Amino acid sequence: MTTPPSSAGAQTASEAPSRFRLRLTVRDLGTLIGLVVICAVFAMLSDVFLTERNLVNILQQSSINSCVAIGMTMVIISGGIDLSVGPVAACAAVLAASLLVSGFPVLLSICAGLAVGAICGAFNGVLIAYAGLQPFIVTLGTLSIFRALALIYTGGNPILGVPTEFRRLFASEIWIFPVPVVVVAVLVVVGSVLLARTPLGEYIFAVGGNEEAARISGVPIARTKIAAYAMSGFLAALAAIILVARLGAAEPTLGNLWELEAIAASAIGGASLMGGKGSIVGTILGAIVLGAMRNGLTLLNVQAFYQLLATGVIIILAMLIDRLTRGRE
Amino acid sequence: MKVKFVKSAIMGVSLASLLALAAHADALKPLNSDTEPDRIDWSQLDAKFGPLPKAEGKLKVGAVAKALNNEYWRSLGQGYANEAKAAGVTVDLQAGQGEADQLGQLAIAENMITKGYNILLVSPQTDANLTPAVEAAEKAGVPVVNVNDAVIPGAKNYVGNVQKDNGVRAARWFIKNRPAGGKVAVVEGMAGVYAAVQRTAGFKETLAKEGPGFTVVASVPGNWDRQLSYDVATNIIQKNPDIVGFYANNDGMALGIVEAVKAAGKLKDIAVIGTDGISDAYKSIKDGELIATVDSFPVLTGEVALETALRLKAGQKLPRVVATPQALVTKDNVDRYTGDEAKVRKNLMEDAAAK
Repeated sequence: MTTPPSSAGAQTASEAPSRFRLRLTVRDLGTLIGLVVICAVFAMLSDVFLTERNLVNILQQSSINSCVAIGMTMVIISGGIDLSVGPVAACAAVLAASLLVSGFPVLLSICAGLAVGAICGAFNGVLIAYAGLQPFIVTLGTLSIFRALALIYTGGNPILGVPTEFRRLFASEIWIFPVPVVVVAVLVVVGSVLLARTPLGEYIFAVGGNEEAARISGVPIARTKIAAYAMSGFLAALAAIILVARLGAAEPTLGNLWELEAIAASAIGGASLMGGKGSIVGTILGAIVLGAMRNGLTLLNVQAFYQLLATGVIIILAMLIDRLTRGRE
Repeated sequence: MKVKFVKSAIMGVSLASLLALAAHADALKPLNSDTEPDRIDWSQLDAKFGPLPKAEGKLKVGAVAKALNNEYWRSLGQGYANEAKAAGVTVDLQAGQGEADQLGQLAIAENMITKGYNILLVSPQTDANLTPAVEAAEKAGVPVVNVNDAVIPGAKNYVGNVQKDNGVRAARWFIKNRPAGGKVAVVEGMAGVYAAVQRTAGFKETLAKEGPGFTVVASVPGNWDRQLSYDVATNIIQKNPDIVGFYANNDGMALGIVEAVKAAGKLKDIAVIGTDGISDAYKSIKDGELIATVDSFPVLTGEVALETALRLKAGQKLPRVVATPQALVTKDNVDRYTGDEAKVRKNLMEDAAAK
């Protein structure tokens, strides 16, 4: 492999964020238009779709996936993939819930759960960055390992009896919006700023865009990757804690197939699995597209098999439009 | 974000203390559908509460099944449809996209409440995944009936069979028909699922108590999966060539085991018993391959579930659990439990009376 001149590497690293913002605003607008079209169709077919309660419902239902997908987007932009988000969430959920049930303070239990998520994520990152293993394989392995840990820890049984004090934390509303929706809104702002305005964001784009060039221009590759996976684990844990609060129980089987939903949201939102491309706003819109689809199709009483079909078609359609508007690169 | 988080935490706690004043005490104890004392057998409903009251106006019933890729849940839906037709109400059936689509099923249940159904029949994927929807429905004054087999701890009404009994019946077959005893194995459903835990426990406890000649050499998860159960059974047979029987927590797994037994050429020596009574299982029983299944009559269960919901909607105070029937079906009595729905219902009514 030939080594690119170092000036090109420096260019990639410094220019990536501004280029990304310019281009992806248009891409995000595309996702937004798609969402509006989907909503318009459902609004015509069902008279409850556009009610305030239903729209809030869609946001609430999309909030778990949104939370996971924000972390997933960071990892995808860095050129990786995180298949272990569901089991990481399960580990965080069962730990936080067991602390809560044994009477530990709410804040401490939440922090412990989040810490477990970040540590699991960082573990993925270390294996990928230092051992040089492929992200797909590493997280496929940890997908089993973390799921097993959650099952072993609980003996396969759900942890019931989470205190209502903790449940109400996330069951309350701020104006008309449930707390989980507000949490996700804050995450969108923080995540977007982090990607566009901080060195870490710059590094993530650089590593995913051209790792060799980034290395030459002095980007700390290993630490950047570990940070991306740790954030993904942290956000999966946060999603888990929100879900435990909503369900009032933590199950070791929690988080099944979250990785696929999160990857779908990222992809619809314009993240490229080749790395170097993606946006938080786009991902959130992608998650809401998926949530709105599920909601609208249920309101129209469309049977499960056709809902699955529709979801698949939307993903492929989004990718085709993406390819046509963006051109082959 | 931390600051915001702490802020919302403080806000939540202060809001919560306000709410605590308004909220009513939740005195309902967590449901254990097998042992709940407040119960009634399905066959007693008419006798104790009279014929089903006529539904007022046009009632819309929403049903959320586990997943439609398992015949059991489609049959349950058929039962809903039958009863709806008889009672003059409409029923819409929705389901998760697979038996592990927990959040998807929750979203579906919530969306159905938004749409404004008068009654909700739910078969949750896990004990907890539909909790928010059930709470929302109760807040909206919509009666919710938990139908087989995961048990929502806070469920006010449950319709389903006694899960433990499935295992008990299978064990008694072995005790009666294999008096010499021997090695047996259990292939369990998904780890931690109520139905799987209870069925397995019923089987093991009964053998331990009533069948001293038997040893359970393995009890391993087959995750409701036919292929996995085939592999598991193959390994168990290899290790214990003298094994005399298998009990599987559902029919799909039992049929996988039957294939493994056939492949090992031991169909004559190893008896396999399943649970559920799906049509493939019946076919296999008639062909003399599967020895028996513990049928829990999903169509009838669906009918009883909707009947229960309609009675609740009409204001009747029913016991918390309505128990639905089950029977061990073998080649000898298969005709009694198949074919015309009305005939099966009559036979089951007779079984209940004979108890």
